[in-house]
Amino acid sequence: MEAELAEDEAALASLAEWCLRFSPKVAVDSPDGLFMEIDGCAHLWGGEENLARTLMQRLAAQNIPARIAIADTFGAAWALARHAPSEIVVWTDATVKSIARLPVEALRIEPQTASKARRLGLKTIGDLMAPSRVALRKRFGAGLMLRLEQVLGEADEALVFLQTPAAWSARRVFADPISRPEDIQRIAHDLAQNLCARLDQDGLGARRFELTFHRIDGANVTREVGAALPMRNAKRLAALFVPKLQDVDPGFGVEVAELTADCVAPINAVQSDMIEAAADVRNADLAPLIDRLRNRLGTSNVWRAAPYTSHAPERAVARIGALDSPCGETWPSDQPRPIRLFHRPQPIEAMAPIPDDPPLMFRWRGIMHRVLRAEGPERISAEWWRRSWEENSIDRIRDYYRVEDESGARYWLFRAGLYDGARPARWYIHGLFA
Amino acid sequence: MSVAAYAELQAASNFSFLRGASHPWELAVTAKQLGLSALAVTDRNTLAGIVRAHVAAKKIGLRFIVGCRLDFSCGAPSVLCFPTDRAAYGRLTKLLSAGQLRSEKGKCDLRYSDLREHGEGQILILLAPRKLEENDFPSWAARIARDFKGSVYLAASRLYSARDVRRLHQLSVLANETRAPMVATGDVLYHAPERRALQDVLTCIREKCTLEQAGFRLESNAERHLKSPQEITRLFAAHPGAVTRTLEIAERCAFSLDELRYEYPDEPVPPGKTPNQHLRDLTWAGAAWRYPGGVPPQVVAQINKELDFIEEEEIPQYFLTVHDIVAWARDPDTKNNKKAILCQGRGSAANSAVCFCLGVTSVDPTETKLLFERFLSKERNEPPDIDVDFEHERREEVIQYIYNRYGRRRAAICATVIHYRQRSAIRDVGKALGLTEDVTAALANTVWGSWGGQGDGGMPDKHVEQAGLDPRNMEIRRAVDLANELLDFPRHLSQHVGGFVLTQKRLDETVPIGNAAMADRTFIEWDKDDIDALGLMKVDVLALGMLTCIRKAFDFLNQNHNLSINDVADIPADDAAVYDMLSKGDSVGVFQVESRAQMSMLPRLRPEKFYDLVIEVAIVRPGPIQGGMVHPYLRRRAGIEPVTYESPAPEHGPEDELKQILVRTLGVPLFQEQAMSIAITAAKFTPEEANGLRRAMATFRNAGTMHLYEELFISRLIERGYDPKFARSCFDQIKGFGSYGFPESHAASFAKLVYVSAWIKCHYPDAFCAALLNSQPMGFYQPAQLVRDAQEHGVEVRPPDIGASDWDCTLEEADDGALKAVRLGLRLVAGLREDQAQKVIEARASGVRGAEALARKAGLARGVLEKIAEADAFRSTALGRREALWRVSGLGHERKAEAETPLLARVDAAVEPEPLLAAMPLHEHVAEDYRTIGLSLKKHPCAFFRRGLTERGAVRAGALRDINDGVRVCTAGLVLNRQRPGTAKNVMFATLEDETGIANLVIWDRVFQANRRILMTSSFLFAEGQLQQANGVTHLVVERVTDLTYVLAKLRDGSAIRSLQKSRDFH
Repeated sequence: MEAELAEDEAALASLAEWCLRFSPKVAVDSPDGLFMEIDGCAHLWGGEENLARTLMQRLAAQNIPARIAIADTFGAAWALARHAPSEIVVWTDATVKSIARLPVEALRIEPQTASKARRLGLKTIGDLMAPSRVALRKRFGAGLMLRLEQVLGEADEALVFLQTPAAWSARRVFADPISRPEDIQRIAHDLAQNLCARLDQDGLGARRFELTFHRIDGANVTREVGAALPMRNAKRLAALFVPKLQDVDPGFGVEVAELTADCVAPINAVQSDMIEAAADVRNADLAPLIDRLRNRLGTSNVWRAAPYTSHAPERAVARIGALDSPCGETWPSDQPRPIRLFHRPQPIEAMAPIPDDPPLMFRWRGIMHRVLRAEGPERISAEWWRRSWEENSIDRIRDYYRVEDESGARYWLFRAGLYDGARPARWYIHGLFA
Repeated sequence: MSVAAYAELQAASNFSFLRGASHPWELAVTAKQLGLSALAVTDRNTLAGIVRAHVAAKKIGLRFIVGCRLDFSCGAPSVLCFPTDRAAYGRLTKLLSAGQLRSEKGKCDLRYSDLREHGEGQILILLAPRKLEENDFPSWAARIARDFKGSVYLAASRLYSARDVRRLHQLSVLANETRAPMVATGDVLYHAPERRALQDVLTCIREKCTLEQAGFRLESNAERHLKSPQEITRLFAAHPGAVTRTLEIAERCAFSLDELRYEYPDEPVPPGKTPNQHLRDLTWAGAAWRYPGGVPPQVVAQINKELDFIEEEEIPQYFLTVHDIVAWARDPDTKNNKKAILCQGRGSAANSAVCFCLGVTSVDPTETKLLFERFLSKERNEPPDIDVDFEHERREEVIQYIYNRYGRRRAAICATVIHYRQRSAIRDVGKALGLTEDVTAALANTVWGSWGGQGDGGMPDKHVEQAGLDPRNMEIRRAVDLANELLDFPRHLSQHVGGFVLTQKRLDETVPIGNAAMADRTFIEWDKDDIDALGLMKVDVLALGMLTCIRKAFDFLNQNHNLSINDVADIPADDAAVYDMLSKGDSVGVFQVESRAQMSMLPRLRPEKFYDLVIEVAIVRPGPIQGGMVHPYLRRRAGIEPVTYESPAPEHGPEDELKQILVRTLGVPLFQEQAMSIAITAAKFTPEEANGLRRAMATFRNAGTMHLYEELFISRLIERGYDPKFARSCFDQIKGFGSYGFPESHAASFAKLVYVSAWIKCHYPDAFCAALLNSQPMGFYQPAQLVRDAQEHGVEVRPPDIGASDWDCTLEEADDGALKAVRLGLRLVAGLREDQAQKVIEARASGVRGAEALARKAGLARGVLEKIAEADAFRSTALGRREALWRVSGLGHERKAEAETPLLARVDAAVEPEPLLAAMPLHEHVAEDYRTIGLSLKKHPCAFFRRGLTERGAVRAGALRDINDGVRVCTAGLVLNRQRPGTAKNVMFATLEDETGIANLVIWDRVFQANRRILMTSSFLFAEGQLQQANGVTHLVVERVTDLTYVLAKLRDGSAIRSLQKSRDFH
């Protein structure tokens, strides 16, 4: 089986987040480990031993095999978790001695350093303690020394803990898990007030808010609201959450609720110079509307169209955020495109000289149009990589014509297929020009 | 209505790399089918594809126009440029050379000023940008039309974009204003619309994006294909003049590549002498040198005959040019401290009496009785062809000599066209289609790399399945189909290994010359087929590792064995001991006959004289094997089958017409020349047909014309009363030659080196081993096997040691016997560089002893000394591997000292108490030996596992030869090598080695397919099967295998080994 490193990494990160319920200080140790600082937490779980067992059970319930070691130093815990014979090791005086029997690899050193030690016959951590530290440092450098000292608790180790619910989040832990809908609504309101008050103090607002309920069965339920412009109005925020919380399933209860703010940015006071700020003001006016539309219709249903680089007319439009500005792609100016493009081309009847002259007349919705002027054809072949390979054929083409009828109206017509192709050619109208 | 006529003047082939999506020949064939009046292939700033197009067009009777598209870096618009005559063509090639030589490899930086300088006699067609006003195009157009009055046109194409008609009108207005008449072009990227998908993929590869991301960089439709005159006429109905003008231009561009005339360089001929005179003088002088006792009369006759022939064919300069290079190489120039360079010529003209006298070859014509005419006959009209191999480490000197003698304007290396192969094709296509790395890698990795890469078509479904993918899956299907289509597309040009083109006049007036990736190297745009097709002369200056090895062995013989051998000619001929050794299959390290297939052929063929070696070299090849010629030959040789000659029906010719051709191979055709002779003599091929057959053979993969000759050949033979079975197998053999040609003329030259290397191995295995080790990498075997073979021949091999080793392996006085001992050189120590080793050697020479002193005096970095210590090379200073490593790794201070900074006087290891390091167990030593020097002189790894292996039922390799034929046995050992020869597609050979010897495995396809992964990757293998004893060679025909590779890791850990030995099971 191929390794999927990126996915493993993501899974580890989410496991680390899950572990936050046991301790606020969790660090990811790629590729396959987590560190937890449990000082002052263990008693909440009935002691170190119990914490380890509970954690192990919860992980097992999620089908995650694990090895856990609790020790005075991160280094020792790392070594024991990986190289001790039993799955759970809890630090005692006896474990100190067992450290010496662990292989040098247990020191978290470069593989080359470990090989070099082995080559010299220094195969266990105990072996490394025999020669003088000076001799050792000379041969293996500071890296190994640091690791050795970290295991023995002679050197400190600074870990990068998970971005704890730090700056822009509000969190509530419940001694008795909650599950009533009104409690859920109330907690959302409380957290919103708490968080918005802090944002207000710093003159900030956020465009995305996430409300997460940690259930006691290990599952998380998350609800999210977005804003087109940064906001910090607690009432509005709570109101945006109201419809979304109705279907929150608390399971056997929620033990932790947490509201985080994302896309945090300063909120400027409305500018007085109307001309310069016209766009901003318009956006500021639009923003609440778009927020409400989005939160009601769904974020993906409120969008703005932008050019996209594809020869296929249907695919030449991309959806972007309602207040985003188009990112600079343009359509080639020598390819005329109609003001109005039909969602689906509509079949017409047309009469045209073969093989590829413009039509002389066509019937659309029962009305006959005589073509006075025409331009084309513009030949566009199907995007062959989108259809099945066997179906791919050179006569899967459309010949587009821009035509004008007696009334001066302009239409975008096309003939699908070559006139002598495998399938009979058919005519369609695909859009209207001004 | 008159008949429509049109000449296509703008077509890019796939030599416009990653733009054009058709081969030049596809364009030519389609142009002919469509009825075009003429075709030009106009690649971007290159003429690399024109010879192919020219040849293809000529064959089918299509008029071909030479030209190319010029893209400028200075803002000038691109133009199509067509030379109207030979002189203008020379200016075009000079223009392109100038652009290429001022840029890095593969690029061409052209400016408008270049065109001004070289533009005389060219017809230019301006290519308008998409928006007419862009980049100042109208004013450029006016300017160019003024500068090249009367020769400038303006291209117009109908590509089915929205405003074609409007654009055509605008162009015609501009054409009128600038007086550059409008001309219709197809702006072709492929010969047929079906290639659009591939062209899109090429665009993605070029732009490094996926189809999804490519957007407007792709073409919007499939219109950029060749179109018929009728269609073009219809599309340009409003501008009929634009179409007829194509014919007018085609008319004006009268230049054809057929006008290129080759002229030999003058240098080799002294002033006042004709080339013929000079060649005659040199030949007779050489004859006197070769035959000090007088030239035998039959050689005199032979020389005269050859010289007359050479004079008649007007090719004496060719021989003189080759002689000039060879003479320089062979000449020891003591003044300039240059030693003679060994060389050996081969090829159609090389094994002639003249070449023997000139020193080009060492094969004595009296030794082989090869007939010159067979190599070079008038009817076959082949250009003379001599490849010269030089010592590989010294070939660069020869190349520099050639550059100095002829100058860079007149000497350049040919190109090699690097083609898309299965692996690269699937990789690039996969990326363009947006397949994940995993899928693409899985597809690419099932391809058999160099083993299966010869002559195969696309990727079979079976391979796709083995990659764990479904061949019916749409995306996979698409990727595989497109990759198959991309196969054999040129990817880029590279320099040929050594094919030199030398000319009298400036070479850059014949072909564009560009920079190679190597500094100071230039190469022309054409490859050797192109050169052949145009009749230019080429000398292959090649590198051969075995010549280096032989040279080094000679040096050992002269220095350590008091011989005086300086040339291949100094080796005594026809030494029976040498043939005896080879007949036993004892040929590890011997040139050409060391492969498993050769080793098992030797005892069957039992060579007794030089010519037998020629056959030996040629017989284990696809030709004879596919033609089923091997067994008949061996039976006749063994006297089991009478020697007879196939003959035509009496009314069709003399009964013995084939006897002359086949007499020396006992009536069985074995060589390429014989197959050709049969085609001429028995199948009555005309010179034209024979030439075509030869070409088809040379370019079997591309031409696809082989089947035409097949029919011709077989039907003619049958018609003339030959046995149909014979006819069929003869042609099968020709097809075999197609994928791997091997002519007698090459075999004879190689056989000489087989003999010489075998002679050295036979009499001086010590020198042979040391020389081979010093010439690595080369040949089939790793140093471990070469050392083992030497030991089996009674040579003592000593480990590398700072107290005794040089960089190279050396010979030392042995304790007893006539042979010397081989002292392994420091070159075997992994990661050690020669300059670092030299410091050790210099320090030793000045009396420095001990690790600390070395560090101080030799100024060696700690990392370097650690490498030496890890290789256990401090023994002479009484330090074991562990102690030495402890000692040297303690030198210096912080970690940064491990970098290459020399240690100064910071050595304080002496004051430090020595710790008690545990003694390193033997098995760990062996593992370390393999890691650091690639072999161990201490013990064989298998020995440590012997108990476990025996319990498992494995027989020692050394005992296999005493077991009866047909018995089921198991054996186990390290995998030395695997071969899946092109000669036998359905069989794999592997060699296992244990502490007692080697076991030869034969794995048939069924077993191979079932165990592909293990067989391809295992380094320690347990094999079970049936023993086969034949002709003194023992084979194990494998039925089951088990991978024991993981066990090897246990060598580093003693306890694990003990437990393994107790273990009953290996799993």
